[in-house]
This record gives sequence, structure tokens and C-alpha cells, in this order.
Amino acid sequence: MSQHRSFIAAAALLALCGWAVAQSVPPLATLPPPPVPKDNPNTPEKIELGKKLFWEARLSGNGSMPCVSCHLPNLGWGDGIAISRGYPGTKHWRNSQTVLNSAYYNKLFWEGSVTSLEAQAPAAAEGAVAGNGDGSVMEMRLRFLPEYVEAFRKVFGTEWPRINDAWRAVAAYQRTVVTDARQVPFDRWLAGDRKALSDAQQRGMALYSGKAGCIQCHNGALASDQKFHRLGVPEHPGYQDDALLQITHRWEHYQKGVPEGKYRDAPTDFGLFYITKNPKDIGKFRTPSLRELKYTGPYMHNGVFSKLIEVVDFYNGGGGRDPQKSPLLKPLNLSSAEKADLVAFLEALSMDKPLLHDEPKLPGDYQPLAAARK
Amino acid sequence: MKKSLQPSAWRRCAPWAAGVAALLPMLHAGTAFTADAPPALAPLPEPRPANAAMVNLGRHLFFDNRLAGDWGSSCASCHDPKKGFGDGQALSAGYTSMEYFRNAPTLINAKYRTRFMWDGRLDGADAGTAVRDMVTEAHLMNADGRIVQERLKQIPEYVALWEAAFGKGSDPYSPRMFNAIGAFVQSLESRNVPYDKFAKGDATALSAEAKAGLAVFNGKGQCVQCHNGPIGSDGKFHRLGVPEHPEVLGKPLRTITMLRHYSTSGLPNYMAARTDVGFYAISKDAKDLGRFQTPSIRDLKYTAPYMHNGMFKTLDEVVDFYDRGGGGKGTELKPLGLSADEKRALVAFLLSLSGDPVTVADPGQPDLQVRANFGKN
Repeated sequence: MSQHRSFIAAAALLALCGWAVAQSVPPLATLPPPPVPKDNPNTPEKIELGKKLFWEARLSGNGSMPCVSCHLPNLGWGDGIAISRGYPGTKHWRNSQTVLNSAYYNKLFWEGSVTSLEAQAPAAAEGAVAGNGDGSVMEMRLRFLPEYVEAFRKVFGTEWPRINDAWRAVAAYQRTVVTDARQVPFDRWLAGDRKALSDAQQRGMALYSGKAGCIQCHNGALASDQKFHRLGVPEHPGYQDDALLQITHRWEHYQKGVPEGKYRDAPTDFGLFYITKNPKDIGKFRTPSLRELKYTGPYMHNGVFSKLIEVVDFYNGGGGRDPQKSPLLKPLNLSSAEKADLVAFLEALSMDKPLLHDEPKLPGDYQPLAAARK
Repeated sequence: MKKSLQPSAWRRCAPWAAGVAALLPMLHAGTAFTADAPPALAPLPEPRPANAAMVNLGRHLFFDNRLAGDWGSSCASCHDPKKGFGDGQALSAGYTSMEYFRNAPTLINAKYRTRFMWDGRLDGADAGTAVRDMVTEAHLMNADGRIVQERLKQIPEYVALWEAAFGKGSDPYSPRMFNAIGAFVQSLESRNVPYDKFAKGDATALSAEAKAGLAVFNGKGQCVQCHNGPIGSDGKFHRLGVPEHPEVLGKPLRTITMLRHYSTSGLPNYMAARTDVGFYAISKDAKDLGRFQTPSIRDLKYTAPYMHNGMFKTLDEVVDFYDRGGGGKGTELKPLGLSADEKRALVAFLLSLSGDPVTVADPGQPDLQVRANFGKN
């Protein structure tokens, strides 16, 4: 049965590659189970704890910004706006990425600044324009909630909750926020269901690997090469007319340690440059997955495109007006019908219905120390 | 290092250290210091001119809630000019969703402190660093100093004040910002203090009762042992056995802040603490358990409640506490055997250390503005 299925999948992929078969990029494929790091094995208890912590507002500076405030299940596990809302008193400066399938990335954040979910969680919870929490404060808060004390003891074997274990639990939970291939038309098609994709979607699939060249970067099971590319995406207009965005923009430059000259000019988000400080990396961002796009707009690192057709139009025009953009971007000359087909295929990379999780029941009020220590 | 730069309270009061300070006419600073001079309470030195532009900038920032991470508080929230530059609470509030575990001390005459904070962990000579600590500390204002500095750049009125203080074209940046607020704090000095007038020769400045209180202060009450120098503080740490505030353990939000402060101070076995250990969390020396820095005794008229945890609402209660010989085991205090008259006189004297109310009006905060030259920072 499984051999039969993989034969069909292989045959399907050959067809999918079309005239772009010469490229040495991995084909689109169904996602395997997410990788689990050896030092943070998944257990049901850890996942349950992590789910609570994902919703736990006490894991933020002022008790108002849990993970879920910018990663809402019913907004595609992002926050549904171009630039993420950010910590009270600030605005963030990039689009809140979906948590869906984040388990598969080897680098997280738009500039790939961390390499595990275990490292991503504290970076967001402590980031001054995100959670603005202090690790030691958040840790101490957990110690005054007997339900957490008990859960951490069971899961991690510690007398008191430790903040790094909290992030491990959150990461374990996030590894359950993944696409169910049985609910994805494209994956069903790969598995042999010929009716899973409409004619338009099949035409779009051919364009994806062919004329439109999407597969050059959006390849593999995740539909992301996990590499960094400069597209020349238009600036978010807020940087011209929103004081809070201007503040965050300069602050990000300042605190990421860019050279003085670059800080002074700072006309744009430099992306990967903040990590490498290599001028050739200015404006490069990590290719996002194209899975679950139906639920995860707006799109691009700054959310400037609210609909998929706008994204397709952008690529069709050969990307942005940026002389240093990636040479992979060229005008595509797609017809209106072809663009519609491509959008139809992109939507077939999403589950039929959005993946939703109910809000967990969280511990009540803080308890005095004597009660916390049973 | 600090000692070489900043005269101790002892040295500052050297001109008046002859023991009968209150009765001597004013002498000039620079008089030779005599090591065996008994401690004495000194009048405040004459205010020295400050950098007015820095003070002005600092005054605006002091009242601006955009110095807090979430805009939920300003310096003035816990150091309210209308409440003697404290907050009038026994235990201070702290950042949104948090509660602090000690009393917010007054800032009036803070420039004469040798250390800041009840546990003395910050150098009194460096007000800017103390301001930075308050603004960036997670349980106080929880701001990133660099974000605050970028906020200032979006406020044209502040940019103008900044340039007036630091020069045309100078760019706001957080260390100088903290120093400006520190300069404002150091400008908060009391004036027209009856005791100071008396100490400088105006025998009519104190009532007969206050004079009797001064004698108790220097004599039977032994207050002057620790409350000496220009603000009535030896800058040292003492264990009095002040009763613990019930909320420190009874209200989890306060215990959270306290134990977290210990954890970040590197106190061993901090989860086991069941009372405020004071200076011990800083020194890690067991003899410092329960020791707190001697506070100023100026401006008491405006700065109730008293002690590190605000446990006493009135000066009568404070005096009664000392008269009993403090509280509990390990106190450094001994019963004083003061009569009711002596206690009343002592309180009258203590009140003579308060001058005119120090009032500073909230200048209001101008709005953030868009900067037209995005990309030219």
C-alpha cells in the first residue's frame, strides 16, 4: 500500500516538474512528521503544559502579551495584520509569521536569527517590541502557580519551574501545530487522489514548477528552501507616516549593532544583514513556507500584500524595483488566467479547514508561597 | 573610588561635627576633619548652581510615561511631587501587573545620599545610574533604554530641550537621558528648613519643644548615632527589627518581585527567603541579614509612611518603636525610656527638619510626531 502510494507520488512529481526539471531543487512533497530534537523529546504532558504556556499572559512583561496574542489560531496562527501589533507602547516592525509548520524550519524569524523553536520562544517573549518579558520575572511568576509547579515537576523533574523548561514545553507544543496532510488537496493528490486538485489547480501546479519558477525557492516538503533572498518588496507605508514604526525601525537597527553609517541612513529593513553584517545580505529574508497560505495573510516580511493575487502580480512583474534584487526574479509574463490558476494551486497547499486549537484552561490567581510549595 | 570623589556624610558634616552643631554659627566647608568628632546633624549645604538646561530636560522626562515599557507609569508615579516625591503607600506599586516589596523613598535631598535603594546597592554619587536602574528594571518601568531614546527623537519639543542641554545637533541617547533625569532629581532640595536656620544661628527658628527634642535626638534618644550628616543618614546599614509587612509574604505579587530581586542579585537559596533580607541580598554576608540603609530624616512631614516597608504611618509610631528598643531578636537598638513629653518633643524636632514643600508642576507630555526624513536618522 505504502509502496504503491509512493510510486504514484513519484510519478506525480515527475509530471509536476515539467520543463523546469533541469533545476536541481527538491520537489514539493508531503511533510513528514516534524523533527524533534533529542534534548527535548515530546511527551503528552509536556505538550499539554506547553499549550497552556502558549496562552499564558504572565509570560510577558506586563501580563498582557502571551505568545497567542500575535499568533492566533483563528488568524492562521499569525495576527492577521501587516505589521504585528507589538508590545503595548510599541509596534513591531515585521509581519507576525504563522506558527503553523514552524517546527520544520532550521532557522526562525525573518532573518533566521535563531535555529530552534526552543530559542525562538524566549526571543519573542523577551523582545522589547514583542513580549518585553524578563526571564527571571516570568520564571518567578510560574513558581507562584501551584498547578505549574506540579506540572513542571512531572515533566522536567525540577523542584521549581525554570524558564528555559517553559520554552522547551512551548516548543514541544508548537511541534503539534502542523499541517495534517490528509486535509491538504495537494497532499491528497500526491498520495494518488486524482480528484484532489481541480483542473485550474493542476494548471497552476505546472506553472509553479515551470513558467512561474516558484519552485526555485519554494521547494521541498515545506515549500521553502530555507535560504535568504532579496526580492525588493515595497516598503510598508507606515515607515513614512507612523511614529511608532519609525521608533521601532531605528531601535532595531541600533540594537542589532549595525555600523553607525548604516544606522544613520537606515532606509529599510536590512534583513539577513543584521546577522552577517555582510553588505551582500542587505534586504534578504528567509523564504517562508507556502503551506497554509489560505489562512496566513497578509504576506511578505512586512505584510505589504494582503491577497495572494497581489503576491503573484509582484512576482509576475519580476519582483520589486530594486537593482540588487535576486537574479532569480524576472518578469514572468503570466496571463490573467495563469495567475488565477497559480493562486488556485497555492490555495491547494492549505488544509481544507484551518487548524484551530481551543484555549486551554489556565491556572487561576497566584498563590502565596506556602501554598505553592506543597 | 567613590570615597575619593564624594565626601561621606561624615566629612560633609565635619564643620558642624563639634557636637554642639546646632548651637554654632555657620562655619565654612573645608575645615579639617577630626576622626574622633562625635556624629552630628548638619544643615544642608548651600545649593550649588546646576546645569539648568539639563534639569529642565530631566524635569520633562520625569513626568513622561513613555519612559516605561508599556507607557503605564512615569518616574512621578512612584515619586509624586504631591506626595513628597514618594507614593504615599507603605509598599510601592511597581510595573503594570507587578507589585513592589519596599517603600518608595522620597527624592527630596537625594543628592546628599551616599547610596541609593534601601539595600544600598547603588552609588549615591551616580544619580544617572540609579535612574537607569529604575527605568530599565523589569519590576519598575521595564523599558529598553534604547527604545526610550528613539521615542525622544520623535518628540520635537524634547529634541529642542535636548539640544539646549547638550548642544546643537546632539542626538538623544540613553545614558545622557538618564543623567538629565538624575540632574533633575538632584535639583530637588528643600528650602527654609527651620532646623537649618537654627543651626546657622537663628535661635528663634525652633520652638522650645523642638529644641528639647533636639536634645533628646542628640542625647537620650541616641538618634544622632545613625541619623547624622546633612540629611540625617550615616549611609550605613542597620538591623532594627522593623516588623515585616504582612503583604510581603501574604500577597504573592510582592513575594514574586522580592524573590526575583534576590535571584537576580545572586543570593544563594533565594527561594527559601521568607522575609525581606535587606542588604544581605547584596553583600551575601550573614551579618547583614535584615539590615537596611539609614534613610534621610529630612522632609518627614511629607513622606509618610516610614521605614523600608512603610510599616509606620506616623512619626509617633516610629518614635515608639525606637523607644521600645526596636523589634525582635537581633535588633541593634536598646530601649530608651523616653517620657511622653520627650517623645512629643522629639517628633516636634523631627518635623523641624522639613522645609517648604518641594513642588514641581507636571509639564505635560507633548505627542510623538512623525519624522519626515525617514532613512536619515
